Amino acid sequence: MSVLEVRGLSKEFGAGGVLHRARLHAVDDVSFSLRPGRITALAGESGSGKSTVARLIARLYDPTAGKVLFGGHVVGRRRRDALRYRSQVQLIFQDPFGSLNPAKTVRHHLARPLRIHGLASRRDVRARVEELLETVGLVPPAAIADKYPHELSGGQRQRVAIARALAVEPRVVVADEPISMLDVSIRVGILNLMRDLKERGIAFLYVTHDLASARYVADDILVMYAGQVVEQGPVDQVLAGPLHPYTRLLIESVPDGHGGLAPIELRRGAAAAAVDPAPGCRFVDRCPLAIGVCRERTPALVEARPGQAARCHVTAPAPTNREDIHAQPAA
Amino acid sequence: MSQLQPTIELAPATTPAARTRLRIPGWPALLLRNPKSRAGIVLVGFMVIVALIAPLISVSNPTDFNLLAARQAPSWHHLFGTTDQGSDIFSQVVLGARRSLVLGALAGLLATVLATTLGVLAAYSGGVVDEAVNFLTNVFLVIPTIPLLVVISAYLKSRSMGTMIVVLALTLWAFEARILRGQALSLKNRDFVLAAKVAGESTWRIVFGEIMPNMISRIAAAFVLVFYVSLLVDAGLEFLGLGDTTHVSWGMTLYWAQTNSAVLQGEWWPFLFPGLALVITVLGLTLILAGIDEVSNPRLRDEVRRRGFLRSLVLPVRRAA
Repeated sequence: MSVLEVRGLSKEFGAGGVLHRARLHAVDDVSFSLRPGRITALAGESGSGKSTVARLIARLYDPTAGKVLFGGHVVGRRRRDALRYRSQVQLIFQDPFGSLNPAKTVRHHLARPLRIHGLASRRDVRARVEELLETVGLVPPAAIADKYPHELSGGQRQRVAIARALAVEPRVVVADEPISMLDVSIRVGILNLMRDLKERGIAFLYVTHDLASARYVADDILVMYAGQVVEQGPVDQVLAGPLHPYTRLLIESVPDGHGGLAPIELRRGAAAAAVDPAPGCRFVDRCPLAIGVCRERTPALVEARPGQAARCHVTAPAPTNREDIHAQPAA
Repeated sequence: MSQLQPTIELAPATTPAARTRLRIPGWPALLLRNPKSRAGIVLVGFMVIVALIAPLISVSNPTDFNLLAARQAPSWHHLFGTTDQGSDIFSQVVLGARRSLVLGALAGLLATVLATTLGVLAAYSGGVVDEAVNFLTNVFLVIPTIPLLVVISAYLKSRSMGTMIVVLALTLWAFEARILRGQALSLKNRDFVLAAKVAGESTWRIVFGEIMPNMISRIAAAFVLVFYVSLLVDAGLEFLGLGDTTHVSWGMTLYWAQTNSAVLQGEWWPFLFPGLALVITVLGLTLILAGIDEVSNPRLRDEVRRRGFLRSLVLPVRRAA
């Protein structure tokens, strides 16, 4: 019953010099699905590819491989198909100071999606814009609508950005670190707003590097490392009993501590394992649990506990009698 | 954008009147508030008014022969004196304002439209389009304006104003296109452009509806710059004798004064008054340009506050990188 499904999504970027074209595997074989009325968190450190996933879903990038299915169908390339998709799938940007046009009023930002997709007649636009502003808690709407972005605070801007995403009544909203640029004091307000909106049946993908907020707001979680999903499952289950050593590391680094896990020893190693990746696990250089096979074969995403899967030879070993369906061919 | 911010500082949105003012783009109001551009607008405005009422205050035919009244110094009868043919210089100057202003404005308009469209489209499209436009820009950048105009004026039978405008626009647009492309490049990857894309805006609307409004001050600056450069070049060519001798313009008045060695005869007025008109117009436009620069660049604005208005006029205006 998923509304949006991502299957084997990959995105490579060219990197490095002219003679040796290195390939950055920003996103590598990522699969998941979003369900209505659920918030899925996509967590990982900077450079893990989580924002790239968000932009791939928003069709700001074309995937190198894999596909995004909406309602079970691949979205066509024609403008009409793309427009239909954009009326259903919306993206909220990280930086509310950059995502609103400084030369345009709040009204313009909310009215344009309505006009583009023919969702309100010229007469109704005004009322609909004010209704949207009220939905995201910006009052009085009539006064807010005529303001320019620089007249609003960061939190207010992010609410405008959310209202813009909601204008088309989307079924999927991808929120790319919507609170990371905001003051701590107003973050909860935005998270609560997302929770309220979830009740309307919107499927959320909440991209974040902050596990605490993920636990607060999300139902499921995907943990990404170097372009790959290394662990996925229900958020409470994953955070209470992480399988992948990287997930453990992330939980350990939350300042307020959680679950009384023994601190894991971190080995030295570069985080940029996604540039021309060698076969084997991408976390191997930093992993305290690494064994011989970790350098030879890329671990598959294995469901080691009901509903919880991880990409680790040690904690989630593949059943020996089964073909390794998720394994990567050596890059 | 930064140039919008002071609107708020200066006009707190409390009264309904301030409210409506805010909704109009803030920068024309800012230009009026900036002392430099206000002075510039006054000077240019004066010239525009003179050009508009010229037929009312000049004699019917400013090139009339009247040898009895030749080479007269300024007097109540001939405010700016007369030429060696006895024509009224005052009439020539006020009527000449029409040619200068229309020529400058049209050349500026044409060059700005060319530069903006090509520059922004190139930046936004990238790839082959960008390469092609860049090549074209480079070709036009290395064409020297004045020699080309000299050659064209020497060859063309019709040295009409239209030809002049087209040639001036074609030789001056490339410089502005390069600048506008650079600015559009820095804007095109901003999140609000991507957000417009996610909202479903067409390329056309993104370029002209989302990116361009953020470049309006730079586009206005391009227009003013081309305006006064073409005005100067036009007058210069006419002074060199490459203009249409049947026309009335500041350059032609200067040309005839030169040809008839007015200065050798001790006549200063055929030079002074058209020259003064040129200076007033160009000074006004330069001041407007400096004002636009200041309004759109808060750093310059602070500098003026520090150094004072008059000193900032004398010292060269430091441009934003």
